[in-house]
Amino acid sequence: MSTPLGLDPDELVACVACGLCLPHCPTYRVTNLEIASPRGRIAAMRAVEQGVVPLDGVFVRAMEECVQCRGCEAACPSGVPFGHLMEGARAALASQPIADARRSPLARRATERVALSWVLTRHRVLLTLTWLLWAAQHVHLVPRRLGVPRLRAADLRTPLTAPSGDATADAWLFTGCVMDAWQRGVHRAALEVLGAVGVRASRPGPGGDCCGALHVHSGRRDEARKLARRVIDSMPGTAPIVVDAAGCGAALRDYGHLLGTEEAAAFAARVRDFSEYAVSQGAAEHLVATGERVVVQDPCHLRHVQKAHPAVRDLLGRAYRLAETADDGLCCGAGGAYSVQQPALAQSIRARKAGALREAGADADTVVCSANPGCTFHLAAAGFVVEHPAELAARALSREPVSRPT
Amino acid sequence: MLDHLLADLANAMGPDRARAEPLELALYARDAGVQAGAAAAVCFPRHADDVAAAVAAARRHGVPFVARGSGTGLAGGATPMEEPLVIVTTQMNRVLDIDVASRRAWVEPGVLNLDLSRAVAPYGLHYAPDPSSQQACTIGGNVATNAGGPHCLASGVTAAHVLAVDVVLPDATTARLGGLAPDTPGYDLRGVFVGSEGTMGIATKIAVRLQPNPPTVRTLLLDFTAIDDAAATVSAIIAAGVLPAALEMMDAEITRAVEDFVGAGYPRDADAVLLVELDGLADGVAADVAAVSDLAMAHGARNVRVAADEAERQLLWKGRKSAFGAIARIAPDYYLHDAVVPRTQLVTVLREVYAIADECALTMMNVFHAGDGNLHPLIVFDARVPGVWERVHEAGNRILTACIRAGGVLSGEHGVGLEKRDLMPLLFSPDDLALQGRLVDAFDPDGLANPAKVLPAGSRCGEIGRRPVPEGAWI
Ligand SMILES: Cc1cc2nc3c(=O)[nH]c(=O)nc-3n(C[C@H](O)[C@H](O)[C@H](O)COP(=O)(O)OP(=O)(O)OC[C@H]3O[C@@H](n4cnc5c(N)ncnc54)[C@H](O)[C@@H]3O)c2cc1C
Ligand code: SF4
Ligand code: SF4
Repeated sequence: MSTPLGLDPDELVACVACGLCLPHCPTYRVTNLEIASPRGRIAAMRAVEQGVVPLDGVFVRAMEECVQCRGCEAACPSGVPFGHLMEGARAALASQPIADARRSPLARRATERVALSWVLTRHRVLLTLTWLLWAAQHVHLVPRRLGVPRLRAADLRTPLTAPSGDATADAWLFTGCVMDAWQRGVHRAALEVLGAVGVRASRPGPGGDCCGALHVHSGRRDEARKLARRVIDSMPGTAPIVVDAAGCGAALRDYGHLLGTEEAAAFAARVRDFSEYAVSQGAAEHLVATGERVVVQDPCHLRHVQKAHPAVRDLLGRAYRLAETADDGLCCGAGGAYSVQQPALAQSIRARKAGALREAGADADTVVCSANPGCTFHLAAAGFVVEHPAELAARALSREPVSRPT
Repeated sequence: MLDHLLADLANAMGPDRARAEPLELALYARDAGVQAGAAAAVCFPRHADDVAAAVAAARRHGVPFVARGSGTGLAGGATPMEEPLVIVTTQMNRVLDIDVASRRAWVEPGVLNLDLSRAVAPYGLHYAPDPSSQQACTIGGNVATNAGGPHCLASGVTAAHVLAVDVVLPDATTARLGGLAPDTPGYDLRGVFVGSEGTMGIATKIAVRLQPNPPTVRTLLLDFTAIDDAAATVSAIIAAGVLPAALEMMDAEITRAVEDFVGAGYPRDADAVLLVELDGLADGVAADVAAVSDLAMAHGARNVRVAADEAERQLLWKGRKSAFGAIARIAPDYYLHDAVVPRTQLVTVLREVYAIADECALTMMNVFHAGDGNLHPLIVFDARVPGVWERVHEAGNRILTACIRAGGVLSGEHGVGLEKRDLMPLLFSPDDLALQGRLVDAFDPDGLANPAKVLPAGSRCGEIGRRPVPEGAWI
């Protein structure tokens, strides 16, 4: 642990510098610079670890500009655990202050600290702030480009019907922090679809309201571990844990690794993405063909990390005419808090994604389907109509008993 | 001096287009090969004028320069030697013009090979040379290395697909080599430039030939329990008069490594597999599929699998094209050779190559373009083990010597670059090398364009006083 970043040398040497990951990296695609590429970031980590170059602002910025989408990891034939390396580097940076004009502005980092430590982890604070935001939106004080979804008072006022902390339920529906505050409609839709196939779901008990994904991404592993323990305690038993936010799902699935305990690993093994679980319960057969065209956008944490993206097609394929983008699932630039932390890069990356979506047929009347709140907000701010697979499934639910063709 | 160079570059190209931060320079110190150099500065031109300005600035300050595309080269071609200015073409990545009727396109050098094929796909066309690195490498890099790929068996390597190249010459002037006419009069300077590995100037605009997509494509996976049988099948297929679009071979270890990555259903217990692609009109393809299957079974194949649909076909190819990358699953470092042997000698040379690896106590695997006898013997090792480099070195030399003895050549497609440079005398006489030296000198009399590459020291004029290869470098 005497190296500047304390990374695992075996993980670092796994990169053979072949460059096959370059085109799958959103920041490389918009900059074409080695320093904004996976191979470059790994080489930079190596150079700092070996003491060849100083741990300076240039390095910090190279790390901060990574979206942590892990598109590179899925594309890497050598199996370089990029996500793990980057989380390690971020954790090391979070614990040592580096003052250098070339890294991201201090104000932005301070805001991030308040958001991560004081708001997301205190659900009541988040809900209160959300009401304030609703009020501001009401008087047109919130510019659309910020990507905050249109909040609905009715949604905020009405709690979800599912019980909370009910260990006898068939499944848990993880409700999360931002998602519950800003997209409660998605949870409602998810519960409706699960209800239609006879699944009785419960919300988590107390403490199960923030998965810690954003904390891991910004190197705050200790806080993330605390949150992870809270979440594990909030959903005891063996019932599957259904997650309808791809980013949270990926984080929950990584708890075994984050906490390094058997209990956490067992918990992680129970986690399912909503579409995966719905398909396994036969929900696809309960949907009727709508004839509507939908362009599918795979959130990185669904596709590159959970590798659960085929389930979205399985769930919706019969009800909608699905169209795919031709960009190999390249990231949209939302990346948790990335769109706030690196606005310029996030917008260039989104412009690329927007082109791919439009080419696939997304327009004012054609819905884009996305299974992650971050992507949804980010794409909606660019003018797309975005819905969650759960909402689309709920909309196509057959109101009649299913008659199977014989 | 460096400050002046940077100021000149910034002046010509705009601020932030030239840099010399230690970290950033370190990232341009090597390509996908094994050896690192050191750059003085790096710059990112956006168009041909920028490139000309960069070359002129380098000249003015007496600094050599090296062009770099995606840095996927495996021979150290883009590795900066003698502290040059690295001129990175990746921001020059526009497809400028697609002429569907004439089946050609003008592109900037930084366009990625696969992006070009994607851009022309709506017109039912594709760019034929498909190096395994095609998703990442640039057309400029392909031109400079005369890259090949699985599908070059039937359609020829890059040289057969490049019509014209606009270049910035080492004296910072510009020229068009070749032309769009079927037979441009005069010396074929385009042909000289293709494969020149950045030692004759920098390509800034390239006219490529496009191919119509074949009406029918079938991909077969042949599974063998003995590598000799696979090699014999390769010869038999060609001897029978079938010309596959691609004919690739992977040995046991590489097949397993690849299967771990793609999960395409490659047989993990095979001793070797052949990937055969047949294309053309439906009837002809059906006949070829039958012929190849029969030949394979007659030569001891255990199984013949025909990809059922495009998705399965893509997955099989993804496996083959990930082979080099996937070997890191076995050991962290690799040394890849690239030699061509006559197809009839495949079985003998393969046996010899495996024996050499055994004697040097190294893990060796083979993945290669079997159809044209282009072997890629790959030695995998952990460079952190003391003494391993010497063994890798020894095995490498013996392998290449064996290939050449069997009537082969040094480099099939990856280029000579830095790594194979000092092996050139194995293949060429001093007179041959001197002639090549005079040719490069005609383009680059001052030796500023990508110095220390391709030709061994002493082959060119004006080399006196050049710094030697850095300490610890392996050639
Ligand atoms: C996994 C893997 C698989 C590969 N498979 C193949 C294969 O099947 N077939 C094959 O042929 N190669 C293969 N290669 C090698 C490599 O991809 C090719 O050599 C490719 O052409 C290099 O392109 P690049 O853009 O990365 O060029 P770079 O590596 O950046 O440069 C290569 C050489 O070209 C010169 N150069 C680059 N751009 C220009 C320009 N605009 N003008 C003049 N000179 C220039 C550089 O100076 C250097 O000498 C493979 C590499 C990897 C990592
Ligand atoms: S991360 Fe993987 S794909 Fe990228 S350069 Fe390294 S080995 Fe190649
Ligand atoms: S995680 Fe995403 S942004 Fe970061 S290096 Fe990998 S591909 Fe690029």
